[in-house]
Amino acid sequence: MAGIDWSVLSGPYVSRRTLLNLAAASGAAGFAGWLTAHDRALAAPRQAVRASLQEAKQGGTLRLGFGLGQIPTLDPAQVTLGIVAGELLANIFSGLVQFDEQLGLKPDLAETWEVSPDGLQYTFRLRPGLTFHNGAPLTSEDVVYTYERTINPDFASSQANKLALITDIAAPDPQTVTLTQSAPYAPFLATACSRGPGRALTPVPRSAVEELGDEQFGLTPVGSGPFRILPETAEVGRGFEMEAFEGWYAGRPLLDKVVVELIAEESSRVSALEAGDLDMLDIVPPIGLEQIQQNGDLTVVEAAGTNWIGLAMNQARSPWDNPDARMAVAKAIDRQDFIDKALLGLAIPSVGPIAPAFAWVYRPPAEADDPQAFDLEAARALAEGAGLSGVKPVFISSSDEPRLAQVLRGLLLEIGLDLQIEQAQTAAYNERRTAGDYDMTILGSVVDADPDDGVWNYFHADGPSNSYAYNNPRANELADGQRRTSDQAERAGLLQELQTLVAQDAVYAFLYHEPDRTAFYGYVQGYVPIPEQRYLETLWLDQ
Amino acid sequence: MTQYVLRRLIHSVFIIWGCATLVFFLLRLIPGDPVIQMLGPEYTPEAAEALRRKLGLDEPLQVQYVRWFGNILRGDLGGSIASGETVTGAIATGLPKTLSLAALSFLIAIVIAVPAGVAAALKRNTIVDYAASVVAFVGVSMPSFWFGIILILVFAVWLGWLPATGYAELTDDGFVEWLRRLILPSLAIGAGYAAILMRFVRAGLLEVLGSDYVRTARAKGARERTVIVRHALRNALIPVVTIAGIQLALLLSGAVVVETVFSIRGIGRILVGAIFDRDYPMVQGVILLVAVIFVLANLVVDIVYTFLDPRIHYG
Repeated sequence: MAGIDWSVLSGPYVSRRTLLNLAAASGAAGFAGWLTAHDRALAAPRQAVRASLQEAKQGGTLRLGFGLGQIPTLDPAQVTLGIVAGELLANIFSGLVQFDEQLGLKPDLAETWEVSPDGLQYTFRLRPGLTFHNGAPLTSEDVVYTYERTINPDFASSQANKLALITDIAAPDPQTVTLTQSAPYAPFLATACSRGPGRALTPVPRSAVEELGDEQFGLTPVGSGPFRILPETAEVGRGFEMEAFEGWYAGRPLLDKVVVELIAEESSRVSALEAGDLDMLDIVPPIGLEQIQQNGDLTVVEAAGTNWIGLAMNQARSPWDNPDARMAVAKAIDRQDFIDKALLGLAIPSVGPIAPAFAWVYRPPAEADDPQAFDLEAARALAEGAGLSGVKPVFISSSDEPRLAQVLRGLLLEIGLDLQIEQAQTAAYNERRTAGDYDMTILGSVVDADPDDGVWNYFHADGPSNSYAYNNPRANELADGQRRTSDQAERAGLLQELQTLVAQDAVYAFLYHEPDRTAFYGYVQGYVPIPEQRYLETLWLDQ
Repeated sequence: MTQYVLRRLIHSVFIIWGCATLVFFLLRLIPGDPVIQMLGPEYTPEAAEALRRKLGLDEPLQVQYVRWFGNILRGDLGGSIASGETVTGAIATGLPKTLSLAALSFLIAIVIAVPAGVAAALKRNTIVDYAASVVAFVGVSMPSFWFGIILILVFAVWLGWLPATGYAELTDDGFVEWLRRLILPSLAIGAGYAAILMRFVRAGLLEVLGSDYVRTARAKGARERTVIVRHALRNALIPVVTIAGIQLALLLSGAVVVETVFSIRGIGRILVGAIFDRDYPMVQGVILLVAVIFVLANLVVDIVYTFLDPRIHYG
């Protein structure tokens, strides 16, 4: 990858304009045109947001309903769930950089950053006068401390692998962090340094970690974000309260307080919103969407999803080692029909693992290659050739999604496949899936900060989620290659090629992307939709 | 009596130890791996190995058992695998909620069941009896989570009288707020419980009303009210107390689903969540607690018998 100038990833802003220019320059005219149309569609609500910002009022408490039964930890380096990272951590902790509405990067704690032309050296310049919630100053030493804490094997952080390429990190002065990597790694800023998802390098204060200990720090963390957690209110299974942090670098957020209430049961969460016990839901469960939309007091805001879901077929087992058998399955599924029946029509068809939120690389189905386009006749012919008639594949399913399995079973009967659905409770399911003990299962990547999250892990032979024995040297090359290029247009090209390849190989029958929907009362103003993130500092209450 | 209670308590220790040991090993036999569960989408073989080592799950089972048991004897139930909590801490926040819920459900059940059962028995084969039977059947057949959702829709969403979910601390938020949050979930559990109790009150009372001493009491010229309350009902309550004890299980299992619907993290939800996460220390700790509660509740039931019926005594 010689000759590529990595410094285009330098900030204060890796903007959408840059991406558009890159797309136009690389000849992806259709893509550029689509981006522009997409912008126009988004323009109307954004104007509304801007108009209301002028009369923003300070004060009030926002009650946010969050769809988990318990929050295992709020320690960035130990959080494994994307929604906890993007929606809760993002408000307690600042990152070095943060996302804009199209998941482009803009400054957060780092005012500017530079990436050397060879892509190996990063230099972050922190804002002056930063402080943590406990009053301790936040300097480059804290970033170095955070790095050392995350990679400590005894600490066992699942984020450590995101820092594996770093060979050297230093704090030459209180405002400068420099780090060197052994190889270029394009997703680094988004997956390791961003506010929310970039948990690996989300600065934590040594003083608080040492005072509280790791366990307690996970329950009542001390960050540097717009809101400060109130330690006495934190309860693992109930939620917590956070108040506006007066010392936040961008000035105090508008809300006085945010109450995070955990309500795992979907129907109860929707009821609590409708009853007025909550002002906002983190994510609208599909089952409650219609009810909420019919309520004139409530607003639903939709952003593009960062996820993809498909039907995985285990190539370690016969007949799924035969590409024709897999393609027969893929072509037998009418995705829209599947979405209508299994998901109340509330998702969009997917042609591969590139999610719509990554506008710089995503192409809508009509414009993308679709080797798996629905064609029942072709599917039947392939199925016959591969001898699928009467085959009874073991389909494992977790208890969360019986409906998806049932609908798939119905659709695949059309090509003579008789799915044996084995329903397992989530923990047992995850163990079987990880061990590759299945013929088929529904799988995919959710809440990603960068397309790499949903690509390398799933389609590289060494990917930790690749429990279905997919190994195509060209796919490995593309998955590695997209990590090593800084030119986003070129990276987009590699990712698109990879998407087409894995669709042709029918690693999955690709099914759908789910949009990111949130809902709140009309008096909640100032919401800026950023896919799968909830930055609450812009919110205010018109009451 | 004292000797009897002591003997029972010693038995109890063995029962509880057996329970705890069984749970320790059974839990590790069921499929599912706490480490895979915890890492979720961030799973990599390297991260899994590091975490396994950190949690001590890479050690032989007998070593883990001995360490765990030794800690229990020192009063340390350990820390949750899935969260930063200690098991004792989780129980300390969860138990008051479940006990509040159970107590109020029990109260609601008694308040409904005893008068309804008495009325049904006294007005046997009349419209009152039939109506009570129908209500009881509906009550028993209605799943508590479904009834809970209906209660939320009616009282929280439509009428807006009560909050939909959550729990308020008696000490921090006051009695009224505590009751407002608890009334719907208690009703959801208590309704089914009341239905069962009512049937037993009715049957027990009918049997006693036909007995000789009731006839004697009436022959002495005692007022009907005195006959029913002082003589008949007291004896009729013996099977009811038995059932109430056994049904404690129903109260706790009802609590699991109702706690989920109403988003109250009591013991039931902590246990189910821990089982789902394969959070071994948490499951072991909570089941130990539940075993203790059951054993003690049965002991209490046996002692209550002696007060209700002087003919029963333990020597």
